[in-house]
Amino acid sequence: MRSAGNIQKNTGKRTSHDVLFSLCENAADRLILLLLLSGVLLFILWPIACIALRSLRGADGGVSFAMFDTVLHQYGESLRNSVFVGLFTAVLTTLLSLSAALCCATARGWRRTLAMLIMLVAMVSPPFVSSLAYIQLYGRRGWITYRLLHLSLNPYNRWGVILMQSLSFVPLNAMFLSGILEKLDEGSLRSARDLGAGGGAILRDIVLPLIRPATLVCLLLSFVRSLADFGTPIIIGGRFSTLAADIYLQVVGYSDLEKSSAMNMFLLVPSILFFFVYRALMRRSDKLTDASRAARGDLGLRLSRCGAMGWGAIALSLVFFVMIVLQYGCVFLSGFLKSTKGVYSFTLQYWRQLWQISASTMLRSIQYALIVSLAGTLFAMLFAYYMDRRRIPGRSLFDCLATLPYMLPGTCFGIGYILAFNHAPLKLTGTAFIVMANMLFKQLPTSTKICTASLALLPEVQERSARDLGAGRLAVLRDVVFPALRPAFLSCFVYNFTSSMTTAGSIIFLIDARRQLAVFKLFDAVYQGDYALASLIASVITVIVLLVEGLAYFIARKGEKRRVS
Amino acid sequence: MKKLFSLLLCAVMVLSLVACGSKTDDNQTNDEPESTAPELSGTMKVVATGDVYGPLFDAFTADTGVQVECLSMSSGEVLSKLRAEGGVPSADLWFGGGIDAFMSAKDDGLLEPVMFDAASELGDEFKDAEGYWYSKGITIVGFLLNNSLMEELGLTAPESWDDLTDSQYAGEIVMSNPAVSGTNYAVVNALLQAKGDEGWNYFEALNNNIAYYGKRGSDPKNKVSAGEFAVGITYIDASIEQAAEENDLTIVYPADGMPWVPEGVAVFKNAENVDAAKYFVEWLFSSDDHLRQLAEIEQKSGIKVIKPSIEDLELSYDPTLLMTEDLSLFGSQRSEILERFEPLMGDKAATE
Repeated sequence: MRSAGNIQKNTGKRTSHDVLFSLCENAADRLILLLLLSGVLLFILWPIACIALRSLRGADGGVSFAMFDTVLHQYGESLRNSVFVGLFTAVLTTLLSLSAALCCATARGWRRTLAMLIMLVAMVSPPFVSSLAYIQLYGRRGWITYRLLHLSLNPYNRWGVILMQSLSFVPLNAMFLSGILEKLDEGSLRSARDLGAGGGAILRDIVLPLIRPATLVCLLLSFVRSLADFGTPIIIGGRFSTLAADIYLQVVGYSDLEKSSAMNMFLLVPSILFFFVYRALMRRSDKLTDASRAARGDLGLRLSRCGAMGWGAIALSLVFFVMIVLQYGCVFLSGFLKSTKGVYSFTLQYWRQLWQISASTMLRSIQYALIVSLAGTLFAMLFAYYMDRRRIPGRSLFDCLATLPYMLPGTCFGIGYILAFNHAPLKLTGTAFIVMANMLFKQLPTSTKICTASLALLPEVQERSARDLGAGRLAVLRDVVFPALRPAFLSCFVYNFTSSMTTAGSIIFLIDARRQLAVFKLFDAVYQGDYALASLIASVITVIVLLVEGLAYFIARKGEKRRVS
Repeated sequence: MKKLFSLLLCAVMVLSLVACGSKTDDNQTNDEPESTAPELSGTMKVVATGDVYGPLFDAFTADTGVQVECLSMSSGEVLSKLRAEGGVPSADLWFGGGIDAFMSAKDDGLLEPVMFDAASELGDEFKDAEGYWYSKGITIVGFLLNNSLMEELGLTAPESWDDLTDSQYAGEIVMSNPAVSGTNYAVVNALLQAKGDEGWNYFEALNNNIAYYGKRGSDPKNKVSAGEFAVGITYIDASIEQAAEENDLTIVYPADGMPWVPEGVAVFKNAENVDAAKYFVEWLFSSDDHLRQLAEIEQKSGIKVIKPSIEDLELSYDPTLLMTEDLSLFGSQRSEILERFEPLMGDKAATE
């Protein structure tokens, strides 16, 4: 009797405890959602709205659309150039990425390791330096064109811009594509082989059609990224100018914020169109890989047995890998070479100069990058989950907002932050927080895409069954969603860390004298024409990023093993 | 996963603690000097054209106790940032950059006037009449030639501005866009002043020979050093001399006169530590020692032109080579000239 009473009492307690707990959990759930949405509104929509408002400011302080007219007339040529470069870059990037991804996905043993390693190094890609290496290698006095081939070429033109943009966009795209390739259904490949299809036919009739949506996504991403890139055309465009480069020129040359803001609005139009195409495509791509995701790993294809197309892919990716190796070799070497009357000799002079850049600057860069990549990854994972799985009203709007920072030239995103956060009550300039927030939200578009893609592989049924079995919302997040996002966590972390260490454009206006970053020193060295020092800083940044990436992989591997055992 | 998650959370927290920690450290060191210099305190934030001014700022700190933090930015970037900040500047002192940017900042009401006794010793064209800006030095402009490329192309060395329009240099001359480079803007304005109505014809002719207009001030130096182009129109200073030594280049001081542009110093209006910045301007110009130190750091002797009374400092070039310039026109004509120059360059881009 007594024990029965006890049981009843305990049960009652537990129920009330559970109710309280689930109330708390719901509140926490709402709070997270609120934080995510207000973050996006405050740190993406508000600065961009400030830019838009500025573009409407007339000479007399009133509202005026005159600036748009001026821009359209004056920069029609640049806009056409931007689109021209964007199209070619997109096509070239996609071709190279496809080839490189096929190579990575089909290669075995040391070839695969080597290809992955080159890809990882190339992904760091510190800004400006690769363009400088291009001039050093292929310029009029280039190591390859002049010293080796005795040619005197003028490298400053649109093709140089297209080539360099493509080279720097390929690694991320190739990683993305090879991820998709590895998830292809092994069954259909095997049955095709059993039915007597040759390698070439499998590649042409099965593999390529299956990854067509992903390929299109690659095309679009590269197109938009090329539109927003200003560093490459500034350094190697020569006479050739794109809209993004002209925006930069307006900012640093004419200090005309109204005009540069209006020019930005023009860049946003094609980009927003892109977003909706992207969404439609991504949905299809998910369906294709979703059904077949059980298979992982080897494609069972050999590119050398895939006919002309296979050989084409091998040739293209070889060209790509060789160019990347040359480029990074050149960057690294430049740090240790000194020219006297045009004759090179080895020197440690710049190395010593490097040490004058205080270690605290380097450490601060690493610290910021770590905070941004951890916080940014968490933010992106949560954001992807809430956008993808909760049918909250207006989610396509928020999704679109979270993509916008990808489409603006970095300088303008930075200017937007000054416009938005320099006055009370939102006075945030001069703090470390605003620099990190800027990095985080500038990188959010890509982080979210990585997480969404990974989330698509988790059947929604699993979450629902967990809910049905009584798991709270947070428990689902913690025990079902996060574990499923583990691979995304790693790629997201790596992406964020790399970008935080190398993004210069957007933070150049936000940085504080007291809290300088390594990449700012790099920008400064490039600006002063101190290429050797710039090369060294770039090399050091690359090595640091690789070390941190290696460490992250190592930890993830260990965690995986422990889970399996 | 749970563990990993909490581990990450911990990491984030620790890192942010470290971030906060270092911030308080900074504040402590900043508070310290208050006792030594009662009239001035805190930190003075400087935007300068380079990172080299440390010793000069250290001397200021030793004299006043005010800590100095320096960030290097080009004058165009400074102006854009100022305009975006909307009257709440993030720095106190603006140190260096072409005077045209300072003039246009004054017109926008972004600067704070400074008056001091020693200002009377500075030449009239090197200070604003109302004290909004002063000149700390002058940048001179000349040509930089790549010897091996000149030889390969069989070009004769140009000696004057008029030589540059000779068709033998077609596509071999590189200069910076005058909008981004105060130096190259000085070239345009000074030559227009010297040549009168003929000036624009001159630039049309020069434009035929120009390969392209660089988007950064250091482009001509870098491109000629790298052997990309034979002739660069560039500022001449110690870094150019060094580049000339390293890459086998020749520096030419044009026989028909060198355009030049003063480098400005100014205090930002509404700056946080406006008192320290104002005192810095006075401190710098009132002592020949400080000016000589500055000249030594920059390896430039132009301050002798600005403050002729300064002793123990010799000008390293013949001052009669400097072109006659009405500097007041630098600011007032800027947008007009750039507006006219832009289509001139734009045609260039289209003919590719």
